[in-house]
Amino acid sequence: MYAPPALMTVPFPFSSVSQHNRFGLFLFALTKSSDDILEPKLDELINQLREIGDLLYQWLTDQLISRLSSLSSPDDLFTLFSDLRGQYSWSTQNLAQWKMSRLFWTRIVTWECFSGVVCLLSISYVLRYNFFDLMSSSGVCHLLTNIGIYCKEALSTCPNYELPCLDDSHNDLEALSEYENMDLENIVYEKVTEEIEARKMASEKVSFHLHAPEALFGLVEDIEVPAILNSKHGDNCRETCSYAHTPNDALRDIDSSGGAFLRTNWQTEGHGSSFSLNAFEVILRQLQKLAPDLHRVHFLRYLNNLYHDDYFAALENLHRYFDYRTLDCNSFGRYEIALLCLGMMHFHFGHPKQALEVLTEAVCFSQQKIFCFLGNLVMRISFNYFCARTPDGFQFMQHSNDTSLAYTLAAICNLLAEIGISTTTGILGSSYSPITSIGTSLSVQQQLFVLLKESSRIAESLKLKRLVASNHLAMAKFDLTHVQRPLLSFGPKNSMKLRTFPTNVCKELRLGSHLITEFVSERLTMTAEGAFSTAWLKNLQKPMGALVLSQENVSGGSSNAFQFCAQPSSIPGSVMQLVGSSYLLRATAWETYGSAPLTRINTLIYATCFADGLSLSDAALAHVKLIQHLAVFKGYKGNLKLAQQVCDELGVMASSVTGVDMELKTEASLRHARTLLAANQFSQLLFSIHLFPPLFYFCIFTQHSLQAAAVVHSLFCMCYKFNLQVENATVLLLLAEIHKKSGNAVLGLPYALASLSFCQSFNLDLLKASATLTLAELWLSLGSNHAKRASTLIQQALPMILGHGGLELRARAFIAQAKCLLSDPSFSVSQNPEVVLDPLRQASDELQVLEYHELAAEAFYLMAIVFDKLGQVAEREEAAASYKKHMLALENPEDEEDQLINT
Amino acid sequence: MSSKDTCRNELRTAIRQLSDRCLYSASKWAAEQLVGIEQDPAKYTPSNTRFQRGSSSIRRRFRTNEITSTPAAGVSYVSTPVMEEDEVVDGDFYLLAKSYFDCREYRRAAHVLRDQNGKKSVFLRCYALYLAGEKRKEEETIELEGPLGKSDAVNRELVSLERELSTFRKNGMFDPFGLYLYGMVLKDKGSDYLARTVLVESVNSYPWNWSAWLELQSLCTTVDILNSLNLNNHWMKDFFLASAYQELRMHNESLTNYEYLQGTFSFSNYIQAQIAKAQYSLREFEQVEVIFEELLRNDPYRVEDMDMYSNVLYAKECFSALSYLAHRVFMTDKYRPESCCIIGNYYSLKGQHEKSVVYFRRALKLNKNFLSAWTLMGHEYVEMKNTPAAIDAYRRAVDINPCDYRAWYGLGQAYEMMHMPFYALHYFRKSVFLQPSDSRLWIAMAQCYETEQLHMLEEAIKCYRRAANCNDSEAIALNQLAKLHHELGRDEEAAFYYKKDLDRMEAEEREGPNIVEALLFLANHCRAHNRFEEAEVYCTRLLDFTGPEKETAKSMLRGMRTAQSSFPPMDVERFPP
Repeated sequence: MYAPPALMTVPFPFSSVSQHNRFGLFLFALTKSSDDILEPKLDELINQLREIGDLLYQWLTDQLISRLSSLSSPDDLFTLFSDLRGQYSWSTQNLAQWKMSRLFWTRIVTWECFSGVVCLLSISYVLRYNFFDLMSSSGVCHLLTNIGIYCKEALSTCPNYELPCLDDSHNDLEALSEYENMDLENIVYEKVTEEIEARKMASEKVSFHLHAPEALFGLVEDIEVPAILNSKHGDNCRETCSYAHTPNDALRDIDSSGGAFLRTNWQTEGHGSSFSLNAFEVILRQLQKLAPDLHRVHFLRYLNNLYHDDYFAALENLHRYFDYRTLDCNSFGRYEIALLCLGMMHFHFGHPKQALEVLTEAVCFSQQKIFCFLGNLVMRISFNYFCARTPDGFQFMQHSNDTSLAYTLAAICNLLAEIGISTTTGILGSSYSPITSIGTSLSVQQQLFVLLKESSRIAESLKLKRLVASNHLAMAKFDLTHVQRPLLSFGPKNSMKLRTFPTNVCKELRLGSHLITEFVSERLTMTAEGAFSTAWLKNLQKPMGALVLSQENVSGGSSNAFQFCAQPSSIPGSVMQLVGSSYLLRATAWETYGSAPLTRINTLIYATCFADGLSLSDAALAHVKLIQHLAVFKGYKGNLKLAQQVCDELGVMASSVTGVDMELKTEASLRHARTLLAANQFSQLLFSIHLFPPLFYFCIFTQHSLQAAAVVHSLFCMCYKFNLQVENATVLLLLAEIHKKSGNAVLGLPYALASLSFCQSFNLDLLKASATLTLAELWLSLGSNHAKRASTLIQQALPMILGHGGLELRARAFIAQAKCLLSDPSFSVSQNPEVVLDPLRQASDELQVLEYHELAAEAFYLMAIVFDKLGQVAEREEAAASYKKHMLALENPEDEEDQLINT
Repeated sequence: MSSKDTCRNELRTAIRQLSDRCLYSASKWAAEQLVGIEQDPAKYTPSNTRFQRGSSSIRRRFRTNEITSTPAAGVSYVSTPVMEEDEVVDGDFYLLAKSYFDCREYRRAAHVLRDQNGKKSVFLRCYALYLAGEKRKEEETIELEGPLGKSDAVNRELVSLERELSTFRKNGMFDPFGLYLYGMVLKDKGSDYLARTVLVESVNSYPWNWSAWLELQSLCTTVDILNSLNLNNHWMKDFFLASAYQELRMHNESLTNYEYLQGTFSFSNYIQAQIAKAQYSLREFEQVEVIFEELLRNDPYRVEDMDMYSNVLYAKECFSALSYLAHRVFMTDKYRPESCCIIGNYYSLKGQHEKSVVYFRRALKLNKNFLSAWTLMGHEYVEMKNTPAAIDAYRRAVDINPCDYRAWYGLGQAYEMMHMPFYALHYFRKSVFLQPSDSRLWIAMAQCYETEQLHMLEEAIKCYRRAANCNDSEAIALNQLAKLHHELGRDEEAAFYYKKDLDRMEAEEREGPNIVEALLFLANHCRAHNRFEEAEVYCTRLLDFTGPEKETAKSMLRGMRTAQSSFPPMDVERFPP
């Protein structure tokens, strides 16, 4: 890397050895830093080069630009590389350097096109982070693809003949222009224009990108996030917006340039908002024409099809790609990867059964070949899958997601055990075949538990850190949502408490992130790759960059927590993803256990620090959580509709396939249900929630819109279908509340009790408090003789509600408390009025923030009664006026909506 | 159908016109059909008819100046258009150009005709340019084969040709031959729709150019496209339809058409070969063999389509016939893809798979898109246990023609060999979709389902049932069905299939372990259901075989007799075991 000090003559462009070395360092850092997908643009690179030194910079930039612009075919690029090899033949490590520079130049070429394509096609982070990492390791292939794409420029300057008429769908166009001298240029232009129109429409339709960020922003700013993180987020948003508007610019330029190249550029930069299937297909066809043996094209085509949900074409192209890859001697474990891709594809399209079969085959296959790394890979896939969706996913059995995971893991355990790395045979032994023997005796959850334990043990013994970490996360998730039963019940039945263990969850989470931190620090100190290099490069742009450069000792810098957060791209994607999911899982856990502040903190960390590296669906989930949090604790502030809309849009982002993206779907639906609840549309909820609605309910509620009914109906079905027990508790409580509202307290009681018992066994403290409160309210509404019982219940729940509950919950608790006191014959208002008035005042304040007119009216009504009893007429009138105001608002909800629309 | 005489006269004119324009393969085809027409026995002496088949050197020549264009009565065939020769006597330049063309000096030919404006001259000039471009393209393909397998060699004449031809067309300065050329250019360019329109125009105005029909056919990838063509009725259309149906795997329709055509062209080698092709697809190997034997007798130096004959011989393991064929084509023209395939088959049958791969490779070198060579090479690699290479070869075959069910099947087989049955199933499914009447494919699929890994026996049963329904010549399906049902504890079904299998084996007079197995099962089954007489019959038949089953049968017989003698039959019925 460094020019040896003894070397007296420095190669041409450099004026001194130190300059030479600086450049070397720069190159080194540059090539190493780009483990992530997003790579700098050419102009960024030039800016960075400028930091190194004026003279050198000029020379290098000239070289770079002239070289790149003179590229017209893949062969030219090869020539370029050979030239480079001669020119930069620095010192002894010639070959290594050559390799490095090759990588370097490849990257320059790629920045323009490939990263864009990949980002754009980021179907799921699983694909992106696992498969793409793996694939790009076959660097040659990568290189060729990029060169091919780059060559489209050359192609577009060729006679128009090169532009293929795509398929029969363009025949109409062709026929039309048939008698007009076959002006192909016109056709191209028309095509482009059409696409631009389509894109415009698409970007209008997907309005999320246009308004949602601001909306979210408002919410985020509300909690006073540090400004630096905020602005970062903002940049992202702006970028998205600007991309959405690019078509106009493109349109303007279209006359001047050939069309094809421009179009591609603008597509590759499109960043996923909308992306036309055929447009990319055009590029791929050109590419294939240029290099028929470049099979990577098929894979890109597969991704394109996948992105556009074209199942059959995706299947076809995936098979084609891997068929051709079989001859590729370097592709290690190609069949396994083929199977894994296929499995993932089936997952994506919601065919869990096929996916399971494919994965099983993958494991069986790798078993024959004894590829250790593959076990790891399968494991990662499964875990990613596991983490991304709820553990109780699919429907081919009731718990088929568990099953698929369990089977896969079972097979992996078997695989790893047979390789002989782990000596102990474990609970299951090593002789079972993956499918047959395990499924018989244990329940799916138990199997899962056993296998998780087993696999994490194996992973630990193999020192697969990422795997161990994800194992811990999976375990935490398992602990969170599953009641553990004794695995083997020998002898007398031991009395075990059927509850989840929050401590276990905490422990697993801690262990998980501990390992992640270890991993990161290890990378920093030992290999000095990735994180450090990027930090170094970023420092270049600061004025002190030159200082850093001149110092020989650059590896002294250590990264603190802030750097860790602010430069997420420095860590490999898979690790990032793990860290991110650990935070998200923490948030979920705290949400479940009922600690609002901790939920908020964790979600915020996730949303701000890991936003750019992670999958859309996870980000959406985080945002849903944040919205929900704000809605509960800050009130709606009149933005009910907007919140609703954002929520809907987030829900839409989830895959439309059944059984996929369960977590996001449930969150969004629950959120929707709560919004409806807050908007006093209980009746619709009830109508939809109740499985067997008695006829009179039907008659009462048909007058309401069916829109809400659809939401909760689907939610209800989903919870039962996918065995989401935690969510079941919520839905049951919702049912109880609806019965309460509709005046059927007796009907509500069993639901509340059922919910309560669910909450108890899953340690859902906040929900439990809320259920207790509902129970108390139900008792209260049965008559004053139950006030005592209700009061006891409220006292039980109050600490939790006051500590972590949202505005509504607190207000309800206060009102219920007051009601209890008022209906207690032994309590006299005149003696101790503040005991009643104080909670009522608080309740009314909070409810006014929430714009919860119904409850607010009730609070004021109670206040008026108290004042009346106390004989304070003025206060009574005031309360009565407030009561009237809220009742009016309740009866005329349209006014508010109008306001909303106007604002 | 027009009368034989009409056809004959039309063809004679056409041959002259086609070869005058250097469209040699079309002319060759037309001449073959001409000879294929049955001569009027009243008109000619036996010696003439004797020579009618086979040798083309002796041929009665007719004066063809008077063109008969009378349409056949009653049928709505269009009147045969008469080609107007714009240059009654070919100009000297044309003669020179044609000579250059014949010597494959295309550019020279084009240059000579640079100032000629006659339709014929214009056509020949453009055609020569086109061929010059094609020639250069092929050379470049070989020369420029880069590290990326880049073969972006293009016919550089296409752009200018297309420009020129489109102007001609707009000005209506085109004869059907020009349209044919324009169609080819458009097809190369990828404008399929326009190419079809132009070609239809061409064949409607001049139906005897078989090359134009072939181009048109290659553009008809679906039945819908085919049906949407607006073609005039002419007997050439029947040839076209038959051929197009064959490509679209509508073999029976194709056969009907060919048989109808045989009414007129009863001695056409071409039609015979096409019928053989269709029969081959329907797996009627015996008939194919007969047809090819006859073809070879009449036309011993024929190489076209002979690779299919070699496939049949290979499948039937007719070693000597294949060897004879291989040697003959080797002597005739060893550097043709068909010859290479035949020789490849020959070596493969001899078990010399490496050598056979060499020949298939050579075939592919000669024609990169020679479909059957890819598939056959895949088979060889499978034999050599080189699955990656096999997969690659098969994949190339299906990418050339996605309807090649053999290649899909081969892919499935290769992946099955890799122990990836689920993956293999994808390919088997493709294969059976294309050829649902082939029992082997169903059996392969069933075996895939049966593997230990998948163990999807119900699905396997379904596949076997399909196989049994399509005349499973190797009689695997029935036996397997019986076995699977037995395994699943459905003895009634198992007995049904064993019985069926047994009947079949009896009918075909086959012996083997399957008979013993079936007999044993049936004996046991009948005994268990108290049908002692039947059981006794099966046991007695078992006695004819050697082995442990004989002893079992003996003891069973003994047991049954004692049971029958000790208990009255009524009791047995009352207390079933």
